Amino acid sequence: MEQTGYIQQQANLDTVFAALADPTRRAILIQLTMGEAAVNDIAAPFEISQPAVSRHLKVLERAGLIERDIDKQRRPARLKAQDMAAAVAWLTEFRAFWDNSFDQLDAVLLQMKQTPDDT
Amino acid sequence: MSDLPEYKFDRVFDAPVAMVWKAWTDPDLLARWYGPGVETIIHEFDLRPGGVWLNEMKWGDKSMCSKVAFLEVVPEQKMVWHHYGSTDSDWNSASNPMMPNWPPVLLTTVTFVEADGKTTVSLSQIPFDASAEEIECFADAMAGMSKGWGAGYKILDEMFAELQA
Repeated sequence: MEQTGYIQQQANLDTVFAALADPTRRAILIQLTMGEAAVNDIAAPFEISQPAVSRHLKVLERAGLIERDIDKQRRPARLKAQDMAAAVAWLTEFRAFWDNSFDQLDAVLLQMKQTPDDT
Repeated sequence: MSDLPEYKFDRVFDAPVAMVWKAWTDPDLLARWYGPGVETIIHEFDLRPGGVWLNEMKWGDKSMCSKVAFLEVVPEQKMVWHHYGSTDSDWNSASNPMMPNWPPVLLTTVTFVEADGKTTVSLSQIPFDASAEEIECFADAMAGMSKGWGAGYKILDEMFAELQA
Protein backbone atom coordinates (compact mmCIF):
# COMPACT_ATOMS: atom_id res chain seq x y z
CA MET A 1 0.00 0.00 0.00
CA GLU A 2 1.43 3.36 -0.97
CA GLN A 3 1.73 5.71 1.95
CA THR A 4 1.03 9.32 1.41
CA GLY A 5 3.29 10.81 4.04
CA TYR A 6 0.45 13.19 4.67
CA ILE A 7 0.81 13.23 8.43
CA GLN A 8 4.47 14.19 8.38
CA GLN A 9 3.52 17.40 6.68
CA GLN A 10 0.26 17.77 8.52
CA ALA A 11 0.45 16.55 12.08
CA ASN A 12 -2.02 18.94 13.62
CA LEU A 13 -5.57 18.41 12.47
CA ASP A 14 -6.71 21.44 14.43
CA THR A 15 -4.92 23.50 11.80
CA VAL A 16 -7.00 21.81 9.12
CA PHE A 17 -10.28 22.59 10.80
CA ALA A 18 -9.22 26.16 11.60
CA ALA A 19 -8.31 26.60 7.94
CA LEU A 20 -11.65 25.22 6.80
CA ALA A 21 -13.66 27.37 9.21
CA ASP A 22 -13.41 30.33 6.84
CA PRO A 23 -15.88 30.43 3.93
CA THR A 24 -13.47 32.25 1.61
CA ARG A 25 -10.85 29.57 2.14
CA ARG A 26 -13.40 26.85 1.44
CA ALA A 27 -14.38 28.65 -1.74
CA ILE A 28 -10.72 28.85 -2.74
CA LEU A 29 -10.34 25.11 -2.23
CA ILE A 30 -13.37 24.43 -4.34
CA GLN A 31 -12.03 26.72 -7.03
CA LEU A 32 -8.76 24.78 -6.97
CA THR A 33 -10.58 21.53 -7.68
CA MET A 34 -10.85 22.84 -11.23
CA GLY A 35 -7.08 22.97 -11.51
CA GLU A 36 -4.08 24.90 -10.25
CA ALA A 37 -4.28 28.66 -10.23
CA ALA A 38 -2.10 31.67 -9.44
CA VAL A 39 -3.00 34.30 -6.86
CA ASN A 40 -4.52 36.78 -9.31
CA ASP A 41 -6.67 34.03 -10.89
CA ILE A 42 -7.84 33.01 -7.44
CA ALA A 43 -8.56 36.59 -6.36
CA ALA A 44 -10.67 37.36 -9.44
CA PRO A 45 -14.02 35.88 -8.30
CA PHE A 46 -13.71 37.34 -4.79
CA GLU A 47 -14.08 40.90 -3.68
CA ILE A 48 -10.80 40.77 -1.84
CA SER A 49 -7.28 41.93 -2.54
CA GLN A 50 -4.46 39.75 -3.78
CA PRO A 51 -2.56 40.16 -0.48
CA ALA A 52 -5.67 38.92 1.35
CA VAL A 53 -5.81 35.91 -0.98
CA SER A 54 -2.12 35.32 -0.34
CA ARG A 55 -2.79 35.24 3.40
CA HIS A 56 -5.59 32.73 2.91
CA LEU A 57 -3.33 30.59 0.73
CA LYS A 58 -0.68 30.66 3.42
CA VAL A 59 -3.18 29.30 5.97
CA LEU A 60 -4.32 26.58 3.58
CA GLU A 61 -0.73 25.67 2.78
CA ARG A 62 0.22 25.44 6.46
CA ALA A 63 -2.76 23.16 7.00
CA GLY A 64 -1.49 20.88 4.24
CA LEU A 65 -4.58 21.41 2.13
CA ILE A 66 -2.79 22.96 -0.82
CA GLU A 67 0.71 23.09 -2.17
CA ARG A 68 2.45 25.78 -4.17
CA ASP A 69 5.37 25.75 -6.55
CA ILE A 70 8.28 27.64 -5.07
CA ASP A 71 10.37 27.74 -8.20
CA LYS A 72 7.85 29.50 -10.41
CA GLN A 73 7.24 33.20 -10.12
CA ARG A 74 3.46 32.86 -10.28
CA ARG A 75 3.58 30.31 -7.47
CA PRO A 76 0.44 28.52 -8.64
CA ALA A 77 -1.48 26.79 -5.88
CA ARG A 78 -3.05 23.38 -6.23
CA LEU A 79 -5.22 21.18 -4.11
CA LYS A 80 -3.64 18.58 -1.87
CA ALA A 81 -6.85 17.69 -0.10
CA GLN A 82 -6.96 14.07 -1.24
CA ASP A 83 -4.73 12.94 1.61
CA MET A 84 -6.52 15.17 4.07
CA ALA A 85 -9.82 13.71 2.99
CA ALA A 86 -8.53 10.21 3.72
CA ALA A 87 -7.32 11.19 7.18
CA VAL A 88 -10.51 13.00 8.04
CA ALA A 89 -12.57 10.10 6.72
CA TRP A 90 -10.68 7.80 9.06
CA LEU A 91 -11.16 10.08 12.08
CA THR A 92 -14.85 10.42 11.33
CA GLU A 93 -15.05 6.65 11.13
CA PHE A 94 -13.17 6.18 14.40
CA ARG A 95 -15.32 8.76 16.14
CA ALA A 96 -18.58 7.22 14.97
CA PHE A 97 -17.57 3.59 15.24
CA TRP A 98 -18.53 2.77 18.82
CA ASP A 99 -21.40 5.21 18.94
CA ASN A 100 -23.04 3.66 15.88
CA SER A 101 -22.11 0.12 16.90
CA PHE A 102 -23.67 0.69 20.31
CA ASP A 103 -26.86 1.89 18.62
CA GLN A 104 -26.92 -1.48 16.89
CA LEU A 105 -26.15 -3.26 20.18
CA ASP A 106 -29.18 -1.52 21.67
CA ALA A 107 -31.29 -3.02 18.91
CA VAL A 108 -29.79 -6.49 19.44
CA LEU A 109 -30.46 -6.30 23.19
CA LEU A 110 -34.06 -5.33 22.49
CA GLN A 111 -34.45 -8.34 20.22
CA MET A 112 -32.88 -10.59 22.86
CA LYS A 113 -35.40 -9.34 25.40
CA GLN A 114 -38.31 -9.90 23.05
CA THR A 115 -37.27 -13.36 21.90
CA PRO A 116 -35.31 -14.93 24.76
CA ASP A 117 -35.46 -18.41 23.19
CA ASP A 118 -33.95 -17.21 19.95
CA THR A 119 -30.74 -16.09 21.60
CA MET B 1 3.67 6.55 30.45
CA SER B 2 0.84 7.83 32.60
CA ASP B 3 0.03 10.78 30.37
CA LEU B 4 -0.78 8.83 27.23
CA PRO B 5 -3.79 10.16 25.31
CA GLU B 6 -6.92 8.14 25.95
CA TYR B 7 -10.13 7.62 24.04
CA LYS B 8 -13.09 7.08 26.37
CA PHE B 9 -16.62 6.17 25.47
CA ASP B 10 -19.44 5.14 27.81
CA ARG B 11 -22.98 4.01 27.17
CA VAL B 12 -25.78 2.82 29.45
CA PHE B 13 -27.79 -0.11 28.08
CA ASP B 14 -31.27 -0.90 29.27
CA ALA B 15 -30.47 -4.56 29.94
CA PRO B 16 -28.93 -6.65 32.73
CA VAL B 17 -25.21 -7.30 32.53
CA ALA B 18 -25.68 -11.01 31.78
CA MET B 19 -27.51 -10.11 28.59
CA VAL B 20 -25.04 -7.40 27.58
CA TRP B 21 -22.13 -9.77 28.21
CA LYS B 22 -23.79 -12.39 26.06
CA ALA B 23 -24.26 -9.91 23.22
CA TRP B 24 -20.52 -9.16 23.44
CA THR B 25 -19.28 -12.72 23.70
CA ASP B 26 -21.54 -14.77 21.44
CA PRO B 27 -19.94 -14.30 18.00
CA ASP B 28 -23.30 -14.57 16.22
CA LEU B 29 -24.73 -11.76 18.32
CA LEU B 30 -21.51 -9.75 18.26
CA ALA B 31 -21.43 -9.82 14.46
CA ARG B 32 -24.92 -8.34 14.40
CA TRP B 33 -23.94 -5.09 16.09
CA TYR B 34 -20.15 -4.63 15.85
CA GLY B 35 -19.27 -2.39 12.92
CA PRO B 36 -21.78 0.21 11.81
CA GLY B 37 -23.39 -0.24 8.41
CA VAL B 38 -21.09 -3.07 7.36
CA GLU B 39 -21.27 -6.82 7.10
CA THR B 40 -19.22 -8.16 10.00
CA ILE B 41 -17.63 -11.58 9.61
CA ILE B 42 -16.00 -13.07 12.69
CA HIS B 43 -13.38 -15.56 11.51
CA GLU B 44 -12.26 -16.55 14.99
CA PHE B 45 -13.43 -15.69 18.46
CA ASP B 46 -11.52 -17.26 21.32
CA LEU B 47 -12.41 -15.37 24.47
CA ARG B 48 -9.57 -16.08 26.87
CA PRO B 49 -6.19 -14.52 27.63
CA GLY B 50 -4.00 -15.38 24.65
CA GLY B 51 -7.03 -15.98 22.42
CA VAL B 52 -7.86 -13.84 19.40
CA TRP B 53 -10.89 -12.32 17.71
CA LEU B 54 -10.31 -12.06 13.97
CA ASN B 55 -12.76 -9.63 12.46
CA GLU B 56 -13.56 -8.69 8.89
CA MET B 57 -15.85 -5.83 7.95
CA LYS B 58 -17.20 -5.78 4.42
CA TRP B 59 -19.03 -3.09 2.57
CA GLY B 60 -19.57 -3.28 -1.18
CA ASP B 61 -16.44 -4.83 -2.64
CA LYS B 62 -14.25 -3.43 0.14
CA SER B 63 -13.07 -5.27 3.18
CA MET B 64 -11.20 -4.25 6.31
CA CYS B 65 -9.59 -6.71 8.68
CA SER B 66 -8.67 -6.20 12.31
CA LYS B 67 -7.47 -8.35 15.15
CA VAL B 68 -8.12 -8.39 18.87
CA ALA B 69 -5.70 -10.24 21.15
CA PHE B 70 -7.34 -10.84 24.51
CA LEU B 71 -5.24 -10.13 27.60
CA GLU B 72 -7.76 -10.39 30.40
CA VAL B 73 -11.32 -11.67 30.58
CA VAL B 74 -13.45 -11.36 33.74
CA PRO B 75 -16.95 -12.58 32.90
CA GLU B 76 -19.65 -9.90 33.19
CA GLN B 77 -17.06 -7.40 34.44
CA LYS B 78 -14.15 -6.70 32.18
CA MET B 79 -12.29 -7.43 28.95
CA VAL B 80 -8.83 -6.14 28.12
CA TRP B 81 -7.28 -6.57 24.71
CA HIS B 82 -4.72 -5.31 22.24
CA HIS B 83 -6.62 -3.95 19.27
CA TYR B 84 -4.82 -4.22 15.94
CA GLY B 85 -6.96 -1.74 14.03
CA SER B 86 -5.68 -2.70 10.58
CA THR B 87 -4.32 -6.03 9.50
CA ASP B 88 -3.56 -7.64 6.15
CA SER B 89 -5.58 -10.65 5.03
CA ASP B 90 -3.20 -12.91 7.01
CA TRP B 91 -4.03 -10.97 10.20
CA ASN B 92 -0.60 -9.36 10.46
CA SER B 93 -0.63 -5.83 11.81
CA ALA B 94 -0.53 -3.24 9.04
CA SER B 95 -0.44 0.54 9.05
CA ASN B 96 -3.69 2.35 8.62
CA PRO B 97 -4.16 3.06 4.90
CA MET B 98 -6.10 6.23 5.60
CA MET B 99 -3.91 7.56 8.39
CA PRO B 100 -0.33 6.23 8.29
CA ASN B 101 0.61 7.54 11.74
CA TRP B 102 -2.37 6.11 13.55
CA PRO B 103 -1.13 3.85 16.41
CA PRO B 104 -1.28 0.24 15.08
CA VAL B 105 -2.14 -1.18 18.51
CA LEU B 106 -4.56 0.28 21.04
CA LEU B 107 -4.76 -1.15 24.55
CA THR B 108 -8.50 -1.49 24.96
CA THR B 109 -10.35 -1.96 28.24
CA VAL B 110 -14.08 -2.56 28.38
CA THR B 111 -15.86 -2.68 31.73
CA PHE B 112 -19.44 -3.73 32.48
CA VAL B 113 -21.28 -2.46 35.57
CA GLU B 114 -24.91 -3.22 36.31
CA ALA B 115 -27.14 -0.98 38.43
CA ASP B 116 -30.94 -1.11 38.66
CA GLY B 117 -31.18 -3.53 35.77
CA LYS B 118 -29.19 -1.27 33.45
CA THR B 119 -25.61 -1.87 32.37
CA THR B 120 -22.96 0.77 31.88
CA VAL B 121 -20.34 -0.22 29.34
CA SER B 122 -17.17 1.86 29.52
CA LEU B 123 -14.59 1.71 26.77
CA SER B 124 -11.04 3.02 27.01
CA GLN B 125 -8.37 2.96 24.31
CA ILE B 126 -4.79 4.14 24.64
CA PRO B 127 -1.87 3.70 22.23
CA PHE B 128 0.24 0.65 23.03
CA ASP B 129 3.94 0.48 22.25
CA ALA B 130 3.51 3.43 19.93
CA SER B 131 6.12 5.80 18.50
CA ALA B 132 6.18 9.48 19.50
CA GLU B 133 4.62 10.38 16.13
CA GLU B 134 1.85 7.83 16.56
CA ILE B 135 1.09 9.05 20.08
CA GLU B 136 0.99 12.62 18.81
CA CYS B 137 -1.35 11.67 15.98
CA PHE B 138 -3.70 9.94 18.43
CA ALA B 139 -3.43 12.84 20.90
CA ASP B 140 -4.34 15.32 18.15
CA ALA B 141 -7.36 13.26 17.25
CA MET B 142 -8.50 13.03 20.88
CA ALA B 143 -7.93 16.75 21.50
CA GLY B 144 -9.97 17.55 18.41
CA MET B 145 -12.83 15.36 19.57
CA SER B 146 -12.99 16.90 23.02
CA LYS B 147 -12.91 20.38 21.51
CA GLY B 148 -15.97 19.55 19.50
CA TRP B 149 -14.88 18.70 16.05
CA GLY B 150 -18.54 18.23 15.28
CA ALA B 151 -18.54 21.64 13.63
CA GLY B 152 -15.34 20.80 11.80
CA TYR B 153 -16.78 17.60 10.41
CA LYS B 154 -19.92 19.38 9.33
CA ILE B 155 -17.86 21.87 7.40
CA LEU B 156 -15.95 19.05 5.75
CA ASP B 157 -19.15 17.24 4.86
CA GLU B 158 -20.42 20.38 3.18
CA MET B 159 -17.13 20.86 1.41
CA PHE B 160 -16.99 17.31 0.09
CA ALA B 161 -20.61 17.55 -1.00
CA GLU B 162 -19.75 20.70 -2.94
CA LEU B 163 -16.67 19.05 -4.40
CA GLN B 164 -18.73 16.15 -5.63
CA ALA B 165 -21.54 18.32 -6.99
